Amino acid sequence: MKNVGISCSRNSDYVIIGNSAAGVAAAESIRKIDKKSKIIILTAEKYSNYSKPLITYFLSGKLDLEKIYFKDSGFYEKNDIDLRLDTRVLSIDPSGRTLVTDKNEVIAYYKLLIAGGGKPVIPEIKVIDCNGNTEALKNTICETGGIFTLTTLDDAINLKKYIDGNKIKEASILGGGLIGLKAAEAFLELGIKLNIIEFSGRVLSASFDKTASEIITSRIEETGSSILTNSTIDEIYTDESGRLFKYRLKNGKQLSCNLLVVAVGVFPDVSIIEGCAGKVKADKGIVVDQFMKTTADNIYAAGDVIKSFDMLTGENRSIAIWPLAVRQGVIAGKNMAGIPVSYSGGFFMNSVEILGIPVISMGLSNADGNEIEEIETFKVYNLQKRIYRKIVIRNNKVIGAILAGAIERAGIYVGLISNKIDISDIKDNIAKEDFGIIQLPEGYRKHLVVGDGIEV
Amino acid sequence: MKKIYIKEEYCIGCRLCEIYCQVKHSKSKKILKAFREEQDIISRVLVEEIGHNSFAIQCRHCVDAPCVDACISGAMTKNENTGVVNCDENKCVGCWSCIMVCPYGVIKRDISAKRAASKCDFCEDEKIPVCVKNCPNEALKFSDTDDSDSNAENYTDADNNPGADSDNYNEVDAE
Repeated sequence: MKNVGISCSRNSDYVIIGNSAAGVAAAESIRKIDKKSKIIILTAEKYSNYSKPLITYFLSGKLDLEKIYFKDSGFYEKNDIDLRLDTRVLSIDPSGRTLVTDKNEVIAYYKLLIAGGGKPVIPEIKVIDCNGNTEALKNTICETGGIFTLTTLDDAINLKKYIDGNKIKEASILGGGLIGLKAAEAFLELGIKLNIIEFSGRVLSASFDKTASEIITSRIEETGSSILTNSTIDEIYTDESGRLFKYRLKNGKQLSCNLLVVAVGVFPDVSIIEGCAGKVKADKGIVVDQFMKTTADNIYAAGDVIKSFDMLTGENRSIAIWPLAVRQGVIAGKNMAGIPVSYSGGFFMNSVEILGIPVISMGLSNADGNEIEEIETFKVYNLQKRIYRKIVIRNNKVIGAILAGAIERAGIYVGLISNKIDISDIKDNIAKEDFGIIQLPEGYRKHLVVGDGIEV
Repeated sequence: MKKIYIKEEYCIGCRLCEIYCQVKHSKSKKILKAFREEQDIISRVLVEEIGHNSFAIQCRHCVDAPCVDACISGAMTKNENTGVVNCDENKCVGCWSCIMVCPYGVIKRDISAKRAASKCDFCEDEKIPVCVKNCPNEALKFSDTDDSDSNAENYTDADNNPGADSDNYNEVDAE
């Protein structure tokens, strides 16, 4: 890497790849400890720290573009962080402690954090053009063709332009999981009718149970939209100008369509470590220890790019959610700056609101006492009010919850799960809408009420 | 750092704290007007009561506030000087992630026009928060000290509170 023309900077201390939840949290946490060293954040994005979960709020028009940033514009200056936008890291050399960017720059690091996040899953679907030529779906996603993913601000901006430019009144979303439904939420608010195509038997099958899925399904169907379950797209057809105009489902049915959002899921983007000669290990996500360190010395990773410890299943897996990304970023930052802090794990949780129905799911929410012997479930269900609350208990401890329609005080359950509180004596009340701190076991209640606070 | 201490053994469940909080966060700031003319003013302090047991609880303004970590819009921030955790209602998009993670359950949904998370703001323009000031039995106590580590002078009841100094619930970070 000593080619002529490559500029070399050798003073850098901390280098962070990624400018979202984990990367920014890490930079902030390093700066609190180390006031002097240089901190560089590299991001392939051309925008500053915008909040990825907010792009659907921008799309629906609920949020102006200038409000999409989760840190003030003065954040980088105040914390003396050298932010380099539109800069992609091409390779990392763990032995030489350097990396190379697409700006032909070699940057040396003292400690490196990989927090580049995830990228969308693009299923293998054939796209057939007007001449009968076939192309893979992943090569046909572009601003003008009517086929989009929705994970970056650019995606949302392009999508918005396309909707306005083509006066879109109907669209299709491939994927009825959380990401698909976040997109659906935005479309429905724009008055766009949807066909939601879901591979499994119901929407939100990974994080919600059947009853919660039914509540959401009925609300979406009220808008005149359709949810096509047990279904997927077989082939997509484009016209003379390269634009999507119809697709064919697996069952042979053809639907005309001018706008398709592919929202099947995201997975950790580990392409950045491909050239590391196996020093940074990844297995469906970068592998880290409890200090957020990868298998290579001086290289850490945090956020959606890693596999992290799930305290409920005991496994390491990808749990791509904002609160954990921030937590992991903070912990990585502290360790990088020399203060050993370990990550005790987390669990999945998410909050969405579909057409006025707020829904929160956490932990192993899908489990049901009627199906698994060691599991107990307590439920409150009011069909008219569209209220559904279900608490999942294993060995007298809460391990999951679904709250639809009435989400108030949801975090009390997160506290019970994280702190592994024995709730044997309060099961009868645990799913009720008025469940509160006062019903909690005395020791834990005192800790919350008169204690100095809690760490989650 | 500012802090409100809850003395549950003194709480009689009168809910005056809730009323004063609502008036404080009303437009008119007048008790009669607020209750007769303004709709759905949310109290940011919450009285829980079963039988003779009751206490008033509001945002604990945590040192490591989970709601700040979970906030996707940057609306929820912790003021490093005062320790106050505040929600900028203009920035909040109403995703309710804060409600999802607050172990005290003290953040509420304000689904009026502003659609934002509603929580204790410590009555920052008051010397003493109104819930504390108007509690008839000192079941809420306020302290404002520069020394964030020492609560001892304001709160010495640790012996009566098995949870207060227990490590049982602090199993996350060896910080």
